[in-house]
This record gives sequence, structure tokens and C-alpha cells, in this order.
Amino acid sequence: MTLDIETLVDLYRDMWLIRAFEFGLEREFKKGNVPGMLHTGVGQEATQAALAAHLQASDAFFPDHRCHGINALAQEKHQGDGERIMAELFGRATGVCSGKGGSLHSANPKVGNFGDNAVEGSYMATVLGVALAYQMRGQPNVACCIIGDGTVGRGEFHESLNMAAIWKLPVLYACVNNGYAISMPVGKGHASADIVDLARGYGFPCEIVDGNDIEAAYDAVQRAIAHIRSGAGPYFLEFKTWRWQGIFSGEFRPPEEVKYWKEERDPLKLAREKILAQGKLSAEDLERIEAEVKAEIEAWIDFAKASPMPDPAKATADVYVGWEVTA
Amino acid sequence: MTQATTRSRTFVQALNEALDIAMERDPYVYMLGEDIGEMGGDFGVTRGLWAKYGDARVRDTPLSEAAIIGASVGSAMLGMRPVAEIMFADFIGECYDQLVNNAAKMHYMFDGQFKAPIVVRTACGGGFGGGPHHSQSVEGWFLNVPGIVLVAPATPADAKGLLLASIENDNPIIFLEHKALYRIKGEVPEGYYTTPLRKAAVARAGSDVTVIATMKMVHEALAAAAELEKEGVSVEVIDLRTIRPYDAETVLESVRKTGRAVVATEAPKIGGLAAELSATIGEECFHDLKAPVARVAGLDTPIPFSLVLEKYILPGKEQVIAGIRSVMK
Repeated sequence: MTLDIETLVDLYRDMWLIRAFEFGLEREFKKGNVPGMLHTGVGQEATQAALAAHLQASDAFFPDHRCHGINALAQEKHQGDGERIMAELFGRATGVCSGKGGSLHSANPKVGNFGDNAVEGSYMATVLGVALAYQMRGQPNVACCIIGDGTVGRGEFHESLNMAAIWKLPVLYACVNNGYAISMPVGKGHASADIVDLARGYGFPCEIVDGNDIEAAYDAVQRAIAHIRSGAGPYFLEFKTWRWQGIFSGEFRPPEEVKYWKEERDPLKLAREKILAQGKLSAEDLERIEAEVKAEIEAWIDFAKASPMPDPAKATADVYVGWEVTA
Repeated sequence: MTQATTRSRTFVQALNEALDIAMERDPYVYMLGEDIGEMGGDFGVTRGLWAKYGDARVRDTPLSEAAIIGASVGSAMLGMRPVAEIMFADFIGECYDQLVNNAAKMHYMFDGQFKAPIVVRTACGGGFGGGPHHSQSVEGWFLNVPGIVLVAPATPADAKGLLLASIENDNPIIFLEHKALYRIKGEVPEGYYTTPLRKAAVARAGSDVTVIATMKMVHEALAAAAELEKEGVSVEVIDLRTIRPYDAETVLESVRKTGRAVVATEAPKIGGLAAELSATIGEECFHDLKAPVARVAGLDTPIPFSLVLEKYILPGKEQVIAGIRSVMK
């Protein structure tokens, strides 16, 4: 399919925002300004931009480890304050969870962000309940869980798909198959390298999508969400993609594989080519967009750095609802 | 809190009344679990409710404990009030992550933006030849988990009042139902009432020694107290009712008064509630104590099948009496 130029450029800007966010974050992480661990979504921008484009603030999504991008897009799109995702990753009081959640637990129900649970697969069970609540109340909303290929190894994968199927729940499974669960190749860790082979037995629609082709991703998400909103039950999308980040000790994948994905299958490069092929924007127009986005991300980083640290006394707040408990 | 009119009801009937009342009062209350629908649950706690409220609000599930709790938590994030049944507490390992990493931490790690008001009813405890996987006392598995609430009634009246209070509470609650108590009878008030969480009950007043107990052990402690009364020993029995966060004030006040404490639990001694309570009593009441705190608990073994073996490892009235005698020396 071919998208109209306005939609395509919007998506290009969103994908650039994700990449600039992650590169800026990585730079600050290396300088020691960002605590904890870092999992970036570079290389997987098209999937996240496509999901963010179709999910409404009244829907729900459960992000995975590499979802800073969609978290920031949802925050920016629905509240205009994407910098609060950056501040959360810096552990600041201005973050969406006031610094209590960090990279793996950034949430904001007002923009549909139901938060990552950093035990991969855990929220495959949680998403059922969100979908069940929508169904019981007759709300036409979608509950989406973004999972990796590694998540499929969890028992919750089966429990979730089975229960979503028997109860016909409005769940969108967005499986971002980037080829590896940390270091485990997808075909070695699972009975099939195509996750849809494992999902098809539950009897609802499953599709393989080119996760680096923004038009294909946008189209697939649109189709899946229309199906779910119509009350027809769950939908499973497997996005074939590749993550740029290696493992903590560095790159472990064959050089020719790295070269192929970074140079020939870069989702931003592919999107740029599609835009230029329509002949309505020039390379300079796109460079201007890229510069604008980069400047905005730098402003977010400055905001995060200038934000106050949380009050240490807050560390004991909100353990229970309504009860102050000190042991 | 209690109303004037009471009737004799079993523990199971009291729980059933609470569920019925909660479902009637709040359309967002619903139940899910294995065989809780038309069958009415393995122990009959949900009997009749499926016929009254239908499939949508009394939901039979596959054998998917993680999904049962995950679905409960997710719906609670949107304001539903799920009451899940995990048929046997021993199965809770299957949904441990959902409870410990998800339900218990949600309100905290997301800075108060989400709540997980779920109630997980589950049948625990031994004494009937259920064997290693249908008899355990699991409270110790959750004692070290900030954010979790453990409620453990000992009487039919408390079973009803505590369950209604738990369903209304905004925290994730594991509601322990000891299987040996399901058929006991007691006076249960009619209609709606709640019994406060985090508030222990003085099940029997006394002046020489305090026994702190939960669930079935409350009854063993009361039987021990009745027997020792004949010897002139006055035993105060505290029914903890909420195990986490527990009512330290009532416990410590009683121990300061009597100067002696025995903690009685069915679970193994190491790392459990008995350890926690005796440590706290030691820290807070050291100068009031006339003897070291005694722990009466299960032996440090899995629960064996044969009734002779099971009886050997689980504590009862005799062990409580021995515990009391040890602190009265």
C-alpha cells in the first residue's frame, strides 16, 4: 500500500523522534547520567510509530523493554509533554512515575500507557483483564500488549492467547520479533522462527508483517484494530524486525547480518525513500524535520537534567492504598 | 459493626453470603476461577451465584492461574472489583509473579496512578490427607512482599465481614480460607456488615500468657486455654485476622499485660509468621517478658499424605499446651 504524503511524513517524524530519543539517551547513559540498565528500540521504530498512530488515549497498551519510543510518542501526542518520559529515565521527580518506575516501568493511564512489567510475559496475563473490563462494560477499546520474540517462551503466552480466544477479548498482540532474546536466536529458542506458527492454534487472525516497512506496519495495525473494535476478538501481529543494540558486552551477531539490517533494512532509510519517491518533498525538507526533532529531544534531555531529584521521603509512600505502613 | 440478628451458619455459607451481598451491591464485582460457575466451586463457596448472576460475572476459567490473576489485576486497573478463586493455595506458585511483581508493586512503582484492588480467595491448610500439594499454609511465601495484604479469618462471622471488607478495599488481598474451618458453624449476622482489616480480635481474654494464632490454630489455642484454665492458668488468645500488615498494637499490648507470649501457626517455623511475630515481640517487649517467646509451628517438612504422618508434623492443641507450659515455667 502507499500512504498519503501527510501521513507518511508524520510517521517519519515520529520514527525520527524515537531514534533521536534513543541515541540521546544512549549518549547520556554512557556519560553516567542515566541510572540502571538501557534497552533501546533503535531499528524497531516503524512498529512503535505505527502502533502509536492508531492507538487512542482511551485504549491501553503494555510496552516492552524497548518501548521508550512509543511511551514518549503517546505522552507527546495526548499530553504534549514527552519530556516527562525522558525525565523518568533520569530518575527525576518530574518523570511520569516521579522516578519510581524508570525505563522499565514508565506508565501513564491518561495516555493509555499501562506500564511495562519487567518480568517479560507477565503483562500478557494482565492485558486480559484490561480487555475483559472493556468487554464487560461494552466499551469499544483495544488492549494491546507489545511483546518480544523472547516473551513467547513464557507460559503466560499460552494462557493469554487461550483465554483471549475463548472469551473473544479485544486484545492486540503486537509481537516484535527482532531475531534474538538477548543472545538466543528466535529459531533456536522456539519451535518455529515464525511466532505466528505458535499463535495460529488459538483460532484468531495472525499475520506476519514487515516491521521495517512503515506503510506495511501502519496498514496491518489499522486492519487489526478495526477487527478488534468490531467485536470480533483478538488479533496477532508478528513484526519481523531487527534491533540495532547488541548485548551488554557488545556486538555478537555476524558482520554481514549487521550490515544488511543497518544499511539495507533501516526503517528510516526505507521511509525516506518512500517519501522522496512521491516527489512532493525534497531531501532538504526531510533534513529540516530531522534537525527539528533532534533539537526537541535535546531540550527534553536538558529538561530531565535540570529537574529535581525525588524527595527521598517519597520512597515509603504508596506501598499500600490508603495505609501508611512502616515496619 | 455487627447487627442484632444472627443465625447459625457454616464458614462456607458465611463466605457465600458475603459474595452474594458484594455482587448485589456493586455491579463491578465479579468472580473468576476454576469450576466456580455452575459447579459452585470445589468447596461450594460460590454455590448458587452463577445461577443468580450469570456467566459474565461468575466466570469459569481454564487451569490458568497466571491468567486468572493477570485478568483480575488488569480489570482492577480499570476499576473492576474481581474476586478470584485459586482452588488450592498450593497452586499459587503458578501465579506468584502476578501477585508479587505485578499486583503488589503496581500502586507503588507507577506512583499511585494504578490500583490493583483484587481479592484472591484460596483454600489452605492441612489435616485431611490432602498430601504435599493440597495442604500447605502459604502465608510465609508472601510475608516478605510489601504491598500484599493477607487476610485469614477463623470464624464464620469474621469470614463474612472480612471478605466484604476485603472486596471494598483498594489493595491486592490474598484471602486465606483454612479447609478445616469450612464446615464449622457459628453465629453470623444477617445482611451487610464489614469486619475491619488490620485489626486483631481478642478471642479469649486472659492474664497469664498471650497466644497469638491464626485460622485453625485459633481454635486449637482456645481448646488449649479451656484445658489449662482447669489448672488455674489464664490464657489470652489473640486471633490476628489480618496477617500482613498485622495489628502489632493489639499483640504488643496483650504481651505487655501478660508478660508471656506463644505464637501458634500451622506453617513451618523457619522464616514464617511465628518468626516475624516473635522477633517483633522480642524487640518491643523485651523488658516486659518473663520468659522467651515460644513458637508453636509445623515441623520443617513438606506435608505427608498418610494421616498418621501428617498429624505428626502439624501442630494442634497438645503442642499449644506444651508451648504455654514452656513459658509458664
